[in-house]
Amino acid sequence: MSADTIFVRRPTATPAGEVRAATFSLDRPIAGVHVGIRTDGAWRSWRLIASVWDEYLRRDGAVTTLVETGGMVGNTGANDRKHIVELADGVDCAIVGLGTCGSCTTFTIKDSVVVEQREKPVVAIVTEEFEVHGHNVATHLGHGDLKVLVLPYPLEARPEAELRAIADEFYPQVLTQLGVVTSGAGA
Amino acid sequence: MTLTSETVEVSADPRAQYDRARAERWSDGAPLLPATDDAITALLAATPYPADHALCVLPPSNGVATIELIAVNAAMAGCEPAAFPFVVAALEAISEPEWNAFGLTTTTSSVCPMLLVNGPSRDDLAIDYRAGCMGGAAGRGSMTIGRAVALCIRNIGGQRAGETTKTVFGQPARFGFCIGEWEERSPWPSLAERRGYTVDQDVVTVHGGKGTFPLADIHNDDARDLLYLIAKSIAFPLSNMFLGNVQNGEVVVAFNPMWAERFGAAFPDVDELQHHLRENAWQPIDLWPAPNREILRKKGRVDADGRVHLVGRPDQIVPIVCGGLGSLHAIALPSFGESQMQSHAVLRP
Repeated sequence: MSADTIFVRRPTATPAGEVRAATFSLDRPIAGVHVGIRTDGAWRSWRLIASVWDEYLRRDGAVTTLVETGGMVGNTGANDRKHIVELADGVDCAIVGLGTCGSCTTFTIKDSVVVEQREKPVVAIVTEEFEVHGHNVATHLGHGDLKVLVLPYPLEARPEAELRAIADEFYPQVLTQLGVVTSGAGA
Repeated sequence: MTLTSETVEVSADPRAQYDRARAERWSDGAPLLPATDDAITALLAATPYPADHALCVLPPSNGVATIELIAVNAAMAGCEPAAFPFVVAALEAISEPEWNAFGLTTTTSSVCPMLLVNGPSRDDLAIDYRAGCMGGAAGRGSMTIGRAVALCIRNIGGQRAGETTKTVFGQPARFGFCIGEWEERSPWPSLAERRGYTVDQDVVTVHGGKGTFPLADIHNDDARDLLYLIAKSIAFPLSNMFLGNVQNGEVVVAFNPMWAERFGAAFPDVDELQHHLRENAWQPIDLWPAPNREILRKKGRVDADGRVHLVGRPDQIVPIVCGGLGSLHAIALPSFGESQMQSHAVLRP
């Protein structure tokens, strides 16, 4: 240290994320698979898209269980997290959404991690504006390779026909992300 | 005492330090004091925790907040040693799961930790609770404790606007917000007492607040009438509290001491005051357009009389007393909703 300099301490912490947990793949056809779908009471668009995917999954022979979340704290939050654990325990794989705000993306990823921690395939659904944030949260939770499917942004305020078209367009990608062995499954 | 955080050689020139802090992204945009070993060691001596104690993990980036790293940030904010345990208590409160730091540090909302301090050390530390307490009073305790906590979230938690937080607007209080309660002018038990602490304890309560929402009146002599209007005003239609769950979150309402005296005469029992506020903090369902009405009904938010209450319980409207003696004004600190206020006592060696 010269007379012109002093020493200080660096105030920053190293972000979490060195650990990258394993991801999982179904590696089998969708027929007979028990698929969990996590919706969110806040997002009408996502409920519609999820309902379309639910219909297609059942058409293709899957069994589905839907859980709608709506709380982060208090009794509602505790009940939601309990239901997510039960969903993760009971299904073969899961579709978890929707990340289209800051905190809801955070909780979408957190709930997806609950499934991945049980060594089951999961895909988190986020919109374009929240893609980077979703990956950041996953990385900081030690699940940097978590599968994330990105839908157009914004979804809200779109006509129902547009939302149904988006659901149709992205359904094959959901199956791919889950590792479904398919011979051309689609909407 | 051996410090383990990384040493960085910087210019002794304050302006060059400022440039360096911004270049290194340690800064919130305003100048900082140098975090020298002497300054850090003095802070560490003021807490019972060892320097290497991992107090919590701070989101969004889940950085590990050791006491030493917290002290580095507090030194940069200019905290004096006696104020450092307040920073630690605030971070302990923030890291309680029900405060929902993961959600609040990443949300599109403008929410941030708002620190409300009770206890005997307010004056010694210059924690503002009189005129201009929410901005302008410039007490060292308020400014440095609030800013130290904000710097910890930025530097340890990794919160960066447009990167790790999706906040659309942010808000001035993200620079730091720390006020005291003027307990001596409150007709009711202090906030900390109501939350189970004693008057001789220094306590930090952290509220997930979305900003300062001003209320004013010069026409009402009747305390009940004025409280009715305050209740109606905080139940504004686009409040976060109408978006989420009716049982979650608190709205803090800061009364000036003159109004508090009037309200205390009408409602000596704070529970009755909160009940009166809760009973009047509602809007008629017809106020909202049809799509909102459908959602509110689906959520069970509409009572048999067609009222949509802001909160489910009286204790979710939290009165505190502070501010100058000029009367005429109250300030609400609206809630994010999905966050529960948390308190921690200040611990010393």
